[in-house]
Amino acid sequence: MFGALFFKECKQVLRSLVYLIYVVVFVLFITGQMSSDSAVRLQAPVPGQSYYGTTVTKDETLIMEGTLANLVGDVYHNSWATYPLGFYKGVTLTDRETEQAEAILERCTGKPFAVLLEEMTGHFGEYDPGSAEEMEAAQTSYRVSVREGFTYAEFEAAMEEICDLVGRGSAYEKSKYEYSIRVPMTYELAKEEFDALCEKDRVTRAYMRLFCDYAGIVLAILPIFIGVSRALRDRRAKAQQVMFSKPASGAQIIVSRYLANLVMLCIPVFVTAFLLQQPFCYRAQTLGIRADGMAFLTVPGVWLLPEIMVVLALSFLITELTDTILAVFLQVAWAIGSVFGAEVLVGDFRMRLIARWNTLGQTNLFYSLEKAFLQNRGYYFLLAVVCVILTVIIYERKRRKGGSLIWKNTAG
Amino acid sequence: MEKYGRLTAGFVKRQYFPHLLIVLLFVAFSGGFVSFRGLEDAQAAKVMEMYVAFTGILLFTPLFMPEQDREIWDLERSKGTAMWQLYLPRILLAVLVCILVISLFMSLMVRGGGSFDAGSLFLGACCEILFLGSIGFFASAVTNQVVVGYMIAVVYYAINIGGGKYLGKFALFQMMKGEYGSWGCWLLGAVALLVSGVVVRERMRRRGWL
Repeated sequence: MFGALFFKECKQVLRSLVYLIYVVVFVLFITGQMSSDSAVRLQAPVPGQSYYGTTVTKDETLIMEGTLANLVGDVYHNSWATYPLGFYKGVTLTDRETEQAEAILERCTGKPFAVLLEEMTGHFGEYDPGSAEEMEAAQTSYRVSVREGFTYAEFEAAMEEICDLVGRGSAYEKSKYEYSIRVPMTYELAKEEFDALCEKDRVTRAYMRLFCDYAGIVLAILPIFIGVSRALRDRRAKAQQVMFSKPASGAQIIVSRYLANLVMLCIPVFVTAFLLQQPFCYRAQTLGIRADGMAFLTVPGVWLLPEIMVVLALSFLITELTDTILAVFLQVAWAIGSVFGAEVLVGDFRMRLIARWNTLGQTNLFYSLEKAFLQNRGYYFLLAVVCVILTVIIYERKRRKGGSLIWKNTAG
Repeated sequence: MEKYGRLTAGFVKRQYFPHLLIVLLFVAFSGGFVSFRGLEDAQAAKVMEMYVAFTGILLFTPLFMPEQDREIWDLERSKGTAMWQLYLPRILLAVLVCILVISLFMSLMVRGGGSFDAGSLFLGACCEILFLGSIGFFASAVTNQVVVGYMIAVVYYAINIGGGKYLGKFALFQMMKGEYGSWGCWLLGAVALLVSGVVVRERMRRRGWL
């Protein structure tokens, strides 16, 4: 019975317009974002290179200098990016508040704001504004020194004052600035990173993490429509009562539907991952590294599967409960909040629906954050299971009642 | 006139009310997502194009919800009123609510001491939001699935975040870049999608394709 329901559902999903749109949008988006050029560029660093990329620093002095450099820019432009509820909120300070921010800067650096501004203009003037790489190097190397004897505790207090001025969710919260200051890598560090990429990640795992970063964005949104569309299909087809009268249990019906939709959602993900990973397998072979040929299954399996599961399960639950398209609004808002709310594009796993890793490599950093990442994914996996169980309970109640739990008569 | 008012009121009461409620919540909670203080041109345009734009999707996509049901459509078609006469007041209602929401956001930004060209922004925002909403309207019209309408509109919005260059004159978020000349294309696109949405849908329905 379960198998028959499962395969019947798979066929229905395959024939649905929403699924066709999902496949087309997913494949176009992911192939547009992922470039196989990075496979060609993959090579060991050599001494004497002018640029080895950047890495996140944990050095307190560098964190203070980098954060204050960002602060000078924000005070000058008076445009502050904050994410109070997960969504982007641009904040503009009043003249009085700007003066307060300038005074905080002066207290931290021992220099008036006009001098800091002059230094900033001088620094950026040394780089070519037409070159993206030069501007990135200018941004990364821009530092504002703290005054002598200025402690990290004083710096933390000053940043709290800035947070009071601009509101919640700014880059001046401790949880943000301690993970966002990047510094140029040395040859030794770059070599260490490359070795970790080859040995720990066996190349393809690192590439699959980048794949998951991009795929995670669309997979936070598109499965919502599949879930809502499926949960409303019986109602639209006026087949709800017929389904209620079937001998199959609610658990069999809901779980088979859920798994069928989940499997169908995952197929394009794994197929695309497999195809995109091939240039990296080949490149690893030419570099004499044994690539992980199963990375297309293992990395997205841990990274993306819990996300797809929870998005789909929640859309099933909300739609089954309300018999409306409410899930579309709630979940699209959640997904967009998760995308725009990510201040750091590498790391910051906490409770984010979309786990970001917008870089090829940084292997050592990833493994240092792996526990937080696995906790995040584990949480969403469990949440998905709970949502499916609740959906089964709601379905059974509707079945006993003979219709919607909330509405007397509505159309999906 | 009274007949159209009654028909539209019935639509609002039975189908559209939850959507209006969501728009109301969207406006009520806007203070948590956007700042209205001292906005300049690009910042004010960002509020309109990236946040208020969603009202277009919310208001225009569900306008065919009752007629998703074939029986309701058959019943309505059997009456003397032409189908387009049934849809037009709904579209006008959505346009009116949309303009009200845009005006409210504009007044909040002006009161916040912003320094931006309010006239150009208002015109551009109205046309852009109408255009985005008409994409959802058209998709939901020709597929007879409101979920697909939302999906296509959200995908179009998302494409514009990184891939606006592929959409030419119909790309969104142009005012944020200081380009205020796209309103004509947006308006033209919106009118074309709204009209063809109704025409194509009715033809498809009559031929039994939907």
